Amino acid sequence: MIQTIRAAGSFWLLRVFGSTIGRKLVMAVTGLGLCGFLIMHLAGNLLLYVGAEEYNHYADTLHAQAILLTIAEIGLLILFVGHIVLAFTTDRENSAARPVGYAMKQTKQPPSGMAAPASSIMMATGIVVLLFLLLHLADFRFSALGIRKHDGDDHFTKAVNILRDPLSAGVYIVGSLVLGYHVLHGFQSAFQTLGFNHPKYTPIIKFLSGLFAATVALGFGSFPLWAWAIQK
Amino acid sequence: MSDKLNLTLKIWRQASPGAAGEFKSYKLYDISTDMSFLEMLDVLNEELIQKNDEPVAFDHDCREGICGMCNLMIDGQAHGPDLETTTCQLHMRRFRNGDTIVIEPWRARAFPVLKDLIVDRSAFDRIMQAGGFVSVNTGNAPDGNAILVDKDDADQAMDAATCIGCGACVAACKNASAMLFVAAKVSQYALLPQGRPERTARVQNMVAQMDQEGFGGCTNTNECEAACPAGISVSNIARLNREYLRATLTGAK
Repeated sequence: MIQTIRAAGSFWLLRVFGSTIGRKLVMAVTGLGLCGFLIMHLAGNLLLYVGAEEYNHYADTLHAQAILLTIAEIGLLILFVGHIVLAFTTDRENSAARPVGYAMKQTKQPPSGMAAPASSIMMATGIVVLLFLLLHLADFRFSALGIRKHDGDDHFTKAVNILRDPLSAGVYIVGSLVLGYHVLHGFQSAFQTLGFNHPKYTPIIKFLSGLFAATVALGFGSFPLWAWAIQK
Repeated sequence: MSDKLNLTLKIWRQASPGAAGEFKSYKLYDISTDMSFLEMLDVLNEELIQKNDEPVAFDHDCREGICGMCNLMIDGQAHGPDLETTTCQLHMRRFRNGDTIVIEPWRARAFPVLKDLIVDRSAFDRIMQAGGFVSVNTGNAPDGNAILVDKDDADQAMDAATCIGCGACVAACKNASAMLFVAAKVSQYALLPQGRPERTARVQNMVAQMDQEGFGGCTNTNECEAACPAGISVSNIARLNREYLRATLTGAK
């Protein structure tokens, strides 16, 4: 019988966060949480298509919940920071695990049709999404980009004006597509990391992952095009 | 009738663990397509010995695909281009006349190069020592079917147990992660009643040892599954994650 736990000594939660599997578990949980946020966010944004009045009503009602909104924002911040910090930590450790690379490296996996499979460029797509997120927050949340003034505009007009700007439209479309590619791997990978792999359900999860990725990429990516199309 | 191949080999040569290594090119003529890859290397070494050169050091033992020793990175593929094939089972008919073949050792911090193409894989041994076993009572052998095992569980345990510990999963993984190896070993015991007594401590100890050895983490890229000569499925990695989660949340330590 095995008598001792080898890494015993430290507090068990610290041991979990120090282990490769434990870190991936946290990545998976925070990632899925962020996927949930994406669904909420997209659902709210789709009210743009319903009409200015409905969108403004939704935004005003949301912002009226000052306390709940603050709690939600703190929760989101924890998810984002946890996910991003662990991404950089594990990426550095993973690179260190192979100090000398190969002169030649090929794959035996069947071709995916993509130049780079989503799973192999998660760090790159993640960094693009992070930059997009920072820009988006600066734009919408803090109105910090000095080039635009939104004083007195309602939420609908502000959104349309930001999305209509050719530069930011490009950023939002590229950001949405890259985000879609990121969650294409991330969503189904999280289930595998959480230990959920089953001959009956895994194919369904992989299908849903594709559907979710397409919804995110096309859903968010459509707003700048729409804002441009409704331009008088 | 077998065809004959003229080949250029680019082989990693490294005198000792700390020494700086480099690729060296060798020309080989009239290699039979009926040869195995290792027999082709044997021919090269015979020539080198006759020329009083140092032969290329490479690992091999059974040469029938079950010992897991012949681990070579061939043209950027662990065990060469074929699926579910070890280096010794790879045949020269897979190559074309005039080919240049790049041969490298496994590359991972946890698998240091000992000489040329030979790496030290004792990290795997230490992971096994940490929990890759079951406790068996001494005395008379128990009745064969005294403990009933579900057929599906037995099949899955057997599939996991086909892992030969060659390290191709580590070699192929972009993170040099040993997750597929550890997953196969944890799975083969977790699925069977004989493995239950150590179940909780086993996964915690083997994962702790895996991390201590300096392997990377799993990003579910599935490169390991594609490279595995024994066809171990990544569903085992999900089971390892599940076992780890269970042991962490419900174990006393």
